[in-house]
Amino acid sequence: MNYPIWLLDAFGGGTLIALIAVVHVYVAHFAVGGGLFLVLTELKGLREKSPAILEYTRKHARFFLLLTMVFGGLTGVGIWFTIALLSPAATSKLIHIFVFAWATEWVFFVGEIVALLLYYYSFNKISSRSHLILGWIYFACAWLSLFVINGVIDFMLTPGTWLHDNNFWTGFFNPTFWPALFFRTFLALMIAGLFGFLTSVNIKDPTLRHKMVRYCGLWLMAPLLLLLGSALWYKSALPPAQQQMIFSTSPELKPFLSGFVFLSPILFAGGLLIAALRPQAILRPVAWILLLLGFLYMGSFEFIREGGRRPFIIHDFLYSNSILKKDLPQVQERGVLQTARWIKHREITPENRMNAGKELTTLLCLPCHSEGGLLNDISLQARKYTPEGMLAFINSMGTANPYMPPFAGNREEAAILAEYLTTRMVPRFATVPADITPVTVSPLPFDPETSEYVLLAGPTLGTILSSEPEESGIDISYGPPTLRAQLIFRDASPSLIMDGVTVSYSLETGKGLLQGNFAQLDGYFEKTFTEIPSVSSPYQPFLIAELQAEVEGKIVAATKIKLGISTELGCRNCHGGSWRQDGKSGLSRSTAANILVIHDKRSNTNLSADFSKEITVVCSSCHGDFSRGTESSPGLLSLSAAMHGFHAGLLFNAEGNSCILCHSSSETGASHSFDGIHKQLDLSCSNCHGSLADHATGLLKKEGNTGQAEKLLSLLEDKTEVAIDEINPRSPWTMEPDCLTCHVDFQPPETDDGFNIWTENVEGLFHNRMGEAAVVLCSSCHGQPHSLYPANNRYGMAIGALQPLQYQDSPYPIAADKGCAVCHTIEMEDEMHHPGSLATFRNRE
Amino acid sequence: MTAAQLIPTPDVLQVPWGWFQILLTITFFMHLVLMNILLGCSLITFFRHAAGKSTETNKVISGKLPFTVAFTINFGVAPLLFLQVLYGHFMYASSVLMASYWLLIVGILILTYYGTYIYSLTYDKGADFRTVLSGAIALALLAVAFLFTCNLALMVNPESWSAYFSNPRGTLLNLTDPTLAPRFLHSVFASLAVGGLSIGLYYDFKKRRGDTDCDGGISTGMNWFAGATILNFGAGTWYWGSLPQSVRTLTGEGSAFFLTFLLLGIVAAIFSLIYGLLHRVRSAAYSLLAALFCMVLVREFARRLTLAPWFKTSDLEVVPQYSPLIVFLLIFSAGIGLIWYMIRLVLTDKEVRS
Repeated sequence: MNYPIWLLDAFGGGTLIALIAVVHVYVAHFAVGGGLFLVLTELKGLREKSPAILEYTRKHARFFLLLTMVFGGLTGVGIWFTIALLSPAATSKLIHIFVFAWATEWVFFVGEIVALLLYYYSFNKISSRSHLILGWIYFACAWLSLFVINGVIDFMLTPGTWLHDNNFWTGFFNPTFWPALFFRTFLALMIAGLFGFLTSVNIKDPTLRHKMVRYCGLWLMAPLLLLLGSALWYKSALPPAQQQMIFSTSPELKPFLSGFVFLSPILFAGGLLIAALRPQAILRPVAWILLLLGFLYMGSFEFIREGGRRPFIIHDFLYSNSILKKDLPQVQERGVLQTARWIKHREITPENRMNAGKELTTLLCLPCHSEGGLLNDISLQARKYTPEGMLAFINSMGTANPYMPPFAGNREEAAILAEYLTTRMVPRFATVPADITPVTVSPLPFDPETSEYVLLAGPTLGTILSSEPEESGIDISYGPPTLRAQLIFRDASPSLIMDGVTVSYSLETGKGLLQGNFAQLDGYFEKTFTEIPSVSSPYQPFLIAELQAEVEGKIVAATKIKLGISTELGCRNCHGGSWRQDGKSGLSRSTAANILVIHDKRSNTNLSADFSKEITVVCSSCHGDFSRGTESSPGLLSLSAAMHGFHAGLLFNAEGNSCILCHSSSETGASHSFDGIHKQLDLSCSNCHGSLADHATGLLKKEGNTGQAEKLLSLLEDKTEVAIDEINPRSPWTMEPDCLTCHVDFQPPETDDGFNIWTENVEGLFHNRMGEAAVVLCSSCHGQPHSLYPANNRYGMAIGALQPLQYQDSPYPIAADKGCAVCHTIEMEDEMHHPGSLATFRNRE
Repeated sequence: MTAAQLIPTPDVLQVPWGWFQILLTITFFMHLVLMNILLGCSLITFFRHAAGKSTETNKVISGKLPFTVAFTINFGVAPLLFLQVLYGHFMYASSVLMASYWLLIVGILILTYYGTYIYSLTYDKGADFRTVLSGAIALALLAVAFLFTCNLALMVNPESWSAYFSNPRGTLLNLTDPTLAPRFLHSVFASLAVGGLSIGLYYDFKKRRGDTDCDGGISTGMNWFAGATILNFGAGTWYWGSLPQSVRTLTGEGSAFFLTFLLLGIVAAIFSLIYGLLHRVRSAAYSLLAALFCMVLVREFARRLTLAPWFKTSDLEVVPQYSPLIVFLLIFSAGIGLIWYMIRLVLTDKEVRS
């Protein structure tokens, strides 16, 4: 925030520093270990009275000098130059905190140069004793350089109590100082062996060559074992949060962790192999390969160490975007554009919004991300997101995405940044509402004068989400729909007719006509499909079923119902991919593939492999789903708890509108699954279900200590609107909001907050409940959850109120406005179904 | 947008700024001498090769260049460190503005360093190659010097920083800065002078040790020294004229010191020139070192006066911690002793390993 940002495009994202740093660090460790190698090899030559070994030492010293002093020394300066350009604020902090450590290191650097030059140029010109003293002095200076730099580097990883006392020495001798020093010392000795191979394989005398290659092999293998021990010490010295960051939270680090683990035995085996080999033609390439493997080994370690600092440059002190942790709240309050120095667009106007977005990107994203580069390419990330998904992601940074710093700007800046990243940097998403073409569906006729029967029917649930497993390759759908119907004989005292009745259906789906009969249950007829019927094309989020009731072979009543089925799963908001159908719905295979990649990374599964073999991944086969009748595998969360629990931290939105990122109820979507009366009264999902964080908390609490429930719950601590302790546990699908929480005693509500009081079990669910007369299902008169009459279906008003329009020519609930005549042939005076049932419908447009 | 808005907030110091100023001045003086020898000798060898004068003098220089590179770079680390402590918030910003070029310095130096080794080790293998290689080395070092000049001029010119908003890709050099050309030329002529004098000193040293064939070398070195010093009076005058009015009016804080050291430096330079023309090598060297030291101080005061509208080092906050300084000074002293010990070890050990 203090300094300008160097725009590097593809070379950003750490590419530059990785290129320079890893190469330098490799050579710099050689400069330390190789110093000891020179002295001990010279001693070996002296003890064995071998002029050939001494000559080898001299030649190796020249190679050593040219590589470490020239290349190593200058790339070290290069790192300093580079970090000062990429993170000037952090560099300034390190320079000011450790100025005398750097100055001391410079003294050792001078000592190294003088000693090495004298050592090399005095070979065979002074006594062995004096020459060895020079060698020892060189090694001492080189190791002391490592000693000093190690203190600063590990301060960045674990500043420890320096954060409180700001004392130079507590920062320098920080919690990982000693294990890191041992680790790097052993690494330096190994690398000395690896570089020793390069020169020893070129010795012309085969016997000496074999002897020296084996000698170098010892340098590689013996320290390797000690290094692994110090690595464990190093790991244990890390604070638990950083251990978690490295070993579980950051999936990007897994390749480096694996690389480090797998390369250890490979390098050891390589040492054994090269020691056994004799032909020079084989030795040379093997030496180079081992050197390269060593480079990868070192690189893996450095990436892991850097990863352990995330999202800081100096852990718990300075974020990677150069904002001090202590300054963050103030920056968030004032906004980045008002706080940063190198800003052109301080005031946001409609005209400069995207320019401001670009500046925010430069300041907050590009310090770590490249744009189109090999490392941390932000355009690859942004390409996956819609603006809404990106906004949710931005809001989750620092908590559910702990490897990212918390977003430093204010709400407006977050929205601008999300819009810029997803519509300008990656011009993929046009934020225009889905095109909806109205559909004409007419209710069936009903003659109140002559009709003897009324057939009331509908699905038990509102709109069902379908991932269309055959097409997408992933089955994350709800359970198949269930339809229910009640046949009522119209009379002064109407009766529910069950005996001798056949209720049949006819449903035109996207894959043809489905027909069949309902089963007769206690008080209603029911049809449960075995799979979710296919939606039609062009996309519309419902199918229309025609139902007929026959009594003794004669059709006595018929009606139409809307069966809501949406394929508009919002996964692509964050997981990328495009819509599969008509550009507005359908989970595509590319989206599914991205989901599974993330799942594999985070949960150590191998689902992508199945997916690539065209095996459909069925989420509910591991994560139990009541709507599909499956149980969770041991230790795994239910599907609902896993989905909501995992995403609640990621999709945090302070304005409480996260649900529409996944469910099909967005105002700009193609499904509008929430279209009932409550929607028209401006209630939102959270009025009944709570915010996503609150909703997820209830589900996770019910899981107890199963799987990751407690960990996920901990991420929601500062995100819930209701205190976590006060949120009641609930089971998905069976413990749902209770209508009577707001509509106490069926009366007009005094509150619009239905959250946190759940139905006790399935019997209490809306679609299973009946009025006080225990005859008519609530849903028979009021419609389906989320689409309660009068539903304002965007594809056509009639679609949301087919039966009310059929039976009473109004969209309101059946028998609203004292319309008892739908069933009753006389005027009714008693509110026998429920209190208020004779009242006039209140919420008219 | 004002320049003041762009100047970053500096970090706190552990000891008062004077300590860093002293360390900066001393270490920069050491670096400057080495850097002038390196650049000057590189240019002189190239000009001599190009003029067909590939004598023993050039060969001697070729053998010394790799060490000179090593120590020049090494002794550049310390002043750059102390400069960043006092003026990092200016220098980091200016470095980012010209980042692409600034980072290029590292690559150029690596190639140059290896180039000096190749030049030294293959000196006898061909005259044309020597000319081309010495030219490349000289050109590379000139480029590095130019880029350093650019950055150090840019860092004291915050009013030009707003150019970043039209070019954030690190390719700003601020070539329109009036101080740039005279400042660079002043450095180059000084390098030629110091390079020439170092050649003179080398042959003078040999002559005093009994070598009789040194007069030619002394003459070559001192002629370069004298010629470049005369030219540098012109470049220095130009540089003075290009400095901001606020500096030249000598009204700012420290102006008296600025003027004093400037006059002392000029006087010392005049003496060194006279001694140079007389081929009194050591006297010229003492005078030149005095002139250089004065000019290092002048340079520091010029920077302070230029930045005075925005910043004073005395404004820097100090949260005292003296123990790291004490440890550094102890190790620094031990380091000097160690280097002395190593040199003595080599010089006094006459036993050759059998």
